[in-house]
Amino acid sequence: MTMTDHESARAARERRRPVLRAAMPARASLLAALALGVLAAGSAVALLATSSWLIARAAEQPPILFLGFAIVGVRAFALGRAVFRYLERTVAHDGAFRSLASLRVAIFRRLLPLAPDGVRGVRRGDLLTTLVRDVDTLQDLPLRVAQPLVSGGIVAGLAVVGVAWLSPVAAAVLALGLVATIAAALGILRLLSRAADARVAPLRARLADAVLEYVTRWEVLNAFGAAEERRASILDLDGALRRAQTRQSAAAGSVAALFTLGAGATALATLVSVEPALSTGALSGPQFALLVLVPLAVLEVAAALPLAMTAWWRVRASADRIVAAVPEHVPSEIPRPPAAPAPPPLTATPLTLRAVTARWPGQSAPAMAPLDLELGPGDRVVVEGPSGAGKSTLAHVLVRFLDHEGDYLLGGIDVRELDPDEVRRHVVLCEQAPHLFDTSIRQNLLFARDTATDAELLDVLDRVGLGEWCRERGGLDAAVGERGRLVSGGEAQRIALARALLSSAAVLVVDEPTANVDPARAESLLLELVSAIGDDRAVVIISHTPVPDRLVTQRIRVTATG
Amino acid sequence: MIGSAVAVVHTASIIAFSWFLAHSIAGLIAGESLERVALTILATAGSILARAGTQALLDGLAVRGAAVVKSQLRRRVLAGLDRGGSALLGTTSSARIATLIGQGLDALDGYVGRYLPQLILTAVATPLVVLALLTADLATGIAVILTLPLIPLFMILIGLATQAMQRRQWEALGSLSQGFLEVVRGLSTLMIFGRQHRQIPRIEAVTEQYRQRTMRVLRLSFLSGFALELAASLSVAVVAVSVGVRLIDGDIAFALGLFVLVLVPEAYLPLRQVGAQYHAAAEGIAAADDVLALLEKAEDVPAAGAESTSAAPLARADDAPALDLRDLTVRRGDRVVVDRLSASWQAGQVVAITGPSGTGKTSLLLAILGLHEAEGAVLMSGEPLEPAQRAARIAWSPQSAELTEGTLDEAVALGVASVDRAAVEKALQWARVQDLPRDTVLGLAGDGLSGGQAQRLALARAVYRARERDCRIVILDEPTSALDSETEAGVLASVRELADEGRLVLVVSHRRSVVAAADVHLDLQLVAAEVRA
Repeated sequence: MTMTDHESARAARERRRPVLRAAMPARASLLAALALGVLAAGSAVALLATSSWLIARAAEQPPILFLGFAIVGVRAFALGRAVFRYLERTVAHDGAFRSLASLRVAIFRRLLPLAPDGVRGVRRGDLLTTLVRDVDTLQDLPLRVAQPLVSGGIVAGLAVVGVAWLSPVAAAVLALGLVATIAAALGILRLLSRAADARVAPLRARLADAVLEYVTRWEVLNAFGAAEERRASILDLDGALRRAQTRQSAAAGSVAALFTLGAGATALATLVSVEPALSTGALSGPQFALLVLVPLAVLEVAAALPLAMTAWWRVRASADRIVAAVPEHVPSEIPRPPAAPAPPPLTATPLTLRAVTARWPGQSAPAMAPLDLELGPGDRVVVEGPSGAGKSTLAHVLVRFLDHEGDYLLGGIDVRELDPDEVRRHVVLCEQAPHLFDTSIRQNLLFARDTATDAELLDVLDRVGLGEWCRERGGLDAAVGERGRLVSGGEAQRIALARALLSSAAVLVVDEPTANVDPARAESLLLELVSAIGDDRAVVIISHTPVPDRLVTQRIRVTATG
Repeated sequence: MIGSAVAVVHTASIIAFSWFLAHSIAGLIAGESLERVALTILATAGSILARAGTQALLDGLAVRGAAVVKSQLRRRVLAGLDRGGSALLGTTSSARIATLIGQGLDALDGYVGRYLPQLILTAVATPLVVLALLTADLATGIAVILTLPLIPLFMILIGLATQAMQRRQWEALGSLSQGFLEVVRGLSTLMIFGRQHRQIPRIEAVTEQYRQRTMRVLRLSFLSGFALELAASLSVAVVAVSVGVRLIDGDIAFALGLFVLVLVPEAYLPLRQVGAQYHAAAEGIAAADDVLALLEKAEDVPAAGAESTSAAPLARADDAPALDLRDLTVRRGDRVVVDRLSASWQAGQVVAITGPSGTGKTSLLLAILGLHEAEGAVLMSGEPLEPAQRAARIAWSPQSAELTEGTLDEAVALGVASVDRAAVEKALQWARVQDLPRDTVLGLAGDGLSGGQAQRLALARAVYRARERDCRIVILDEPTSALDSETEAGVLASVRELADEGRLVLVVSHRRSVVAAADVHLDLQLVAAEVRA
């Protein structure tokens, strides 16, 4: 490894650290779970140790009184193993779940100053779902990494020390057996995960893509006579994946076998190496039996360690993805609240843009050419321009999701002197893909103005043309479904507009309301939406569906740079 | 079966290991020299190797078995899909099907790859170990036989007691675990209304509730693990103490006692592991159920015409209409969307088909293509054709582009083995695709293209096919919905060009400009009203 590799690995560790720390439970519950884990694994080892000593001592036929202590011990350890294991699992899980709350809040706090446009990669795919899944994976850090590593390590260490007290030679053999077995298992697991990354994962992804294309394009592929060829290539990929997985199967099967081998070999090596002590009488028979059999139990406990390491690799990958998506430092393209905000403007109008342009984080060039705009009450401005020219960028600038170059004034005040939240109190955005929360229609409207009465909510639904729709569903308590599953694209836009109308904002920015709507309905939907907005507000409409002149006071054209 | 044969050898090697190790220890303690017990020690080493080897083999076979089963299921679902066709696709979301035969099948790993092999091993190993114990020491054997059934009994009892509670909790857990995801996904919407700061206490509350409910479920689930562990470890204690007492009385040999002690846990281990794998297996069973349900559904659907790879030679009767529909009835689900439609159009015509959403425009097109079930007859150039024969003679551009992955050439020349680059270039020009570099590579679902670009590429694809295969019928579904009026005018001019080449062009659209550019206008709403009258 070169110096720079070292440095970048250390930098990655540094970046990961705060995220990992947030995933660890409170010290008290962590220590309790660890102590219980040590007791549980320790009982398992002690059970085998005392029972083998008991049998070997009994074979010497002493008076039964001499065995009383061992008999009690055997029973106690047997009971202890099960009871402590149960308590450990309960306490450890409880601790991990408790830390989940603080972990989620910690990630959310990191997310807040960045969101939405500073979250890296947020514009492609289902990044947020992956992020949330990764946060939940971090739960494994205390549960499947720290807990087994520490308690397994302590018990293995204690066992070596205990054995050393009877016979240093046996302790050396046990330590050697432990180290060799764990190292070999780690080597195999590392090879396996590399092979999986290199061969199986890409094949799996290609197969998933091919299957998805085959299923979603079934009609086109058949109509164009391309189905047969695609099916053949899916079957090829399937065969390749099966062969790659089969090739791995030998290695996958060998980890458990390795511990079987290690346990047997260590016991046998102990037997041979402590035999001289037995024949000289330095060790008694029962001690000898105990020393030979204990490695079997210790190696069983140690089998959890390599698994903990694979869990660690998984957790580390999740932590790295989180850190990459939610960087600690807010990029310069994202607005920050000023240290001492100016007093809020009395009115949002006139809204003035002078030579305004903006850039997305991580991009070197501005996303749109400089733009001027003057917006007064009752104005309706349609923003036109080819796709990719930065129309949505303008929308994000207006609500301060993105910072800008040039001047953006709200009621005569530079928005940079205002808290972005304050700007959004005056300028509200109807998003292209508005989020509907998995709850009732009422809750989905109320967060725009939580003092609104049911009559006001029904009134605004009537205005956006959803009155009948809402009544058909049984009123405001009707559910919208997960991610608005029960609501069509057009209805979602109407709900988003209803929210915007409920807010007191004087400026409405409507971003491509017909993007996810059946084309046959796009024009009429747009007309209805625009007509529903009263004359008291200024409106900026971004749309590729044409807006008739009678509804428009001004048209501006956005062009891409360069 | 290889698996059970290996399981027998594996179990035998465990018994041998315990036997030889006990005798090595007992021999040495009895004062024999290392040389005297060398053979026994060698036998122990041999049995260790056999035990580890068979263990590796068993695990390897399990992984392999899972890969094979998944591959077989995948092939069967694909075959079922082709049989069931669009009727099946209409009833199950395609993303769901893709998930089911993609990573969905990986859920079977727990069931096929771990649970089933463990079940087989248990069925083989447990009786063998018990038999060995019975032969070695009758009392221990009986003790084990008496306690073993306690394990499944405990599991069933605890399972019954917790099942109702688990089911009640599970639903609540589902929505609680989504709580954080909802807040994160909806963050920009929350920010617009200044609600993002209020979410922190909400996240805390939802997660706390999630913890409480999950722990209630887990405490009970852990109980079954506790019962398993307790039964196993207490049995070891009971055996150790009873063997110890009998050793004092001289009722049992030392080596035998040691052998029993080492072997007893092995009688419980397989059963305990079955219990441990059970949860992963339950998930897998659910996944298998979904896949089997899909297969069943596919087999229930009557075969739709789908095989359309080779173009039948065109027998042109030039005076016959290019397309002649006779009493065509199309259903979607249980609803009749097109009712006894009869119409015929000549080559060289541009036909605009209109109608509000839900009047079955797209279903009609799919029926003409033979990709959607329909009653009635479809004649092309005077020739009645079976559904399976039709698609080969039609060039089609679907409503939502539906581009395929690959280079621009591959996407445009879909279904044609040798790409004619010059013809692709002409098709791109025809569809007014000038704003896309020729070396563009399309991702899954046409990633990276705007709606308008994707739409025009789909048009280019249809035109390439129409000219390459000399299709007399071209069907364009909403070809200009994402285009501005300037580009639309260009595309409409291209459509006329296509008709002038002697083809019939059917255009579904809601735009007046498209209707105005057509020779014939078919309004499905009017047709439906006439039929009803």
